[in-house]
Amino acid sequence: MSSEPKQTPLFQRHRELGANFSVFGGYRMPLWYPSGAKTEHLAVICRAGLFDTSHMAAIRVSGPGAPELLQQCCTRDLERCFGKDKRPLMPGMAAYGAYLNKSGGVIDDTLIYQLAHQDYLSVVNAGQGAVVSDHLRTTGGNSQVDVTDLTDRLGKLDLQGPASVAILMKTLENPGNVLADLLYFSFKADQEIFPAWQTRVRLGENIPLMLSRSGYTGEMGFELFVRPQDLIAAWDLLLAAGQKEELIPCGLAARDSLRTGAVLPLSHQDIGDWPFIHHPWHIALAFTPDGTGFTKQFIGSRALLEPDRPFYTCAFVGYDLRKIAVSKNAPPQVLDEAGKPAGIVLTCVTEMAIGRDSGSRVYSVSSPDKPEGFEPRGLCCGFVRLVRPPEPGEIVSLNDGRRKIRVELTRDIRPDRSAGKDINQIIEELS
Amino acid sequence: MRSVDELVLPEALGYTENHEWARKDGSEVVAGITDYAQEELGDIVYAELPEIGQSFEKGAEFGTVESVKAVAELYMPVAGEITGINQELENRPDLVNEDPYGRGWLVTIKPADPGEIQSLMDKTAYYELLKGL
Repeated sequence: MSSEPKQTPLFQRHRELGANFSVFGGYRMPLWYPSGAKTEHLAVICRAGLFDTSHMAAIRVSGPGAPELLQQCCTRDLERCFGKDKRPLMPGMAAYGAYLNKSGGVIDDTLIYQLAHQDYLSVVNAGQGAVVSDHLRTTGGNSQVDVTDLTDRLGKLDLQGPASVAILMKTLENPGNVLADLLYFSFKADQEIFPAWQTRVRLGENIPLMLSRSGYTGEMGFELFVRPQDLIAAWDLLLAAGQKEELIPCGLAARDSLRTGAVLPLSHQDIGDWPFIHHPWHIALAFTPDGTGFTKQFIGSRALLEPDRPFYTCAFVGYDLRKIAVSKNAPPQVLDEAGKPAGIVLTCVTEMAIGRDSGSRVYSVSSPDKPEGFEPRGLCCGFVRLVRPPEPGEIVSLNDGRRKIRVELTRDIRPDRSAGKDINQIIEELS
Repeated sequence: MRSVDELVLPEALGYTENHEWARKDGSEVVAGITDYAQEELGDIVYAELPEIGQSFEKGAEFGTVESVKAVAELYMPVAGEITGINQELENRPDLVNEDPYGRGWLVTIKPADPGEIQSLMDKTAYYELLKGL
């Protein structure tokens, strides 16, 4: 990675909006705008937020050997991944998984979008395009597969939050057709973005895009892939159209607290160079129904079933908003109730949209049954990695050397998220 | 993000390299974090302040302020005893962002050496330090 951080085509816009910047994955990206990370976090849960995610890397994997290569590399069984009856991935659907090394450690996680027969787009984390492309090419060897890093040839915006549907209804050409029946983790693309698609998917009349109902916030929302030359126009169009919905630009700080509250991992932090098993992201693994093995072999699968150093990753939620500082070099310790070391802290943030009632139950600002007058002050939350299995509801202490806080190990953090809501019902309510 | 020239740096304050400010108020010293510090930290969601009566050396950690993402330590601008803490921050930690030199003050200190505040950076020196960051 070069020492001079890269910029996305929207850098000047972020500057004009008064963003605070930080370098992430080799890119200088907005951390928050003047409205602040807390307002941005709440906007995405209650209304809508717009993120520049053009720093993420996108790799096209196509050709007769593409399905087999992805099956070999990805932890998800792409032949058995959708619905109760485990249907295969098909054009217009996306699946979450990870690429592992032979020891079962994570190279990176990915969302794989099937564009067409034998044609896929694998979106990975910022700065990981070259690493993952190399891994896929090396593994593919002489098989008939083309691996192309599209990172600088594709811009990406994430429009997230319950009001994002209303904003797209105003900005898409023919919104009814595009949005109707768009399931969670499905997408549609314009012919000018990916020629295999015979459809028109456009913002206004002139911005062709690939529109995916997905995101990294746990809330109803969309990822918009556009040509880099259309990024600024798309950004401006959405922000202008979303004024009534109070759409605001959001930075990486809100993205981090939103994804933590939604129990989504950050690659190289919550998942990393240790066996990718015993964690909350079972969906990414090709388990057999009894959970004792995998439905296919993939790179790292053998090591996952017999890890020589098993770790157990688990979400936690605290009792107030105080955090501990997480440094990668000296990660804070997890202590069990007897004060015995039980693991380390991977992520610790404040989720500003949640709080506990007097009975200690966690509610979100969007919980339909929240207590009257509920005004959360926020709770600390994140992920720990233990050296033994967590017990449900177990209370542990996190200790960073200067502060010790009590937290509860949990399956979920922010309740009542909107990501999986019925889009047709939302469209009906809007019309 | 505002440039260094746009940051508010009042004349009559002493500044530290850890981005605290200190102001003489009678026989006491009032302390807080600078406009630069609050902007770097982002939304302050919690301030953990010491007990009244505790004494600290100059440069010793006396508490923390937390933003959504980070926990930042607070360091004593001068040696002395804590005589007051800003109770208002318990419910309004955002005052540190909104008014870092006014309603967002953190503690009052009875200085061990009333002259020590003179050794802090003045506005010009602190401005130069920020320019160099």
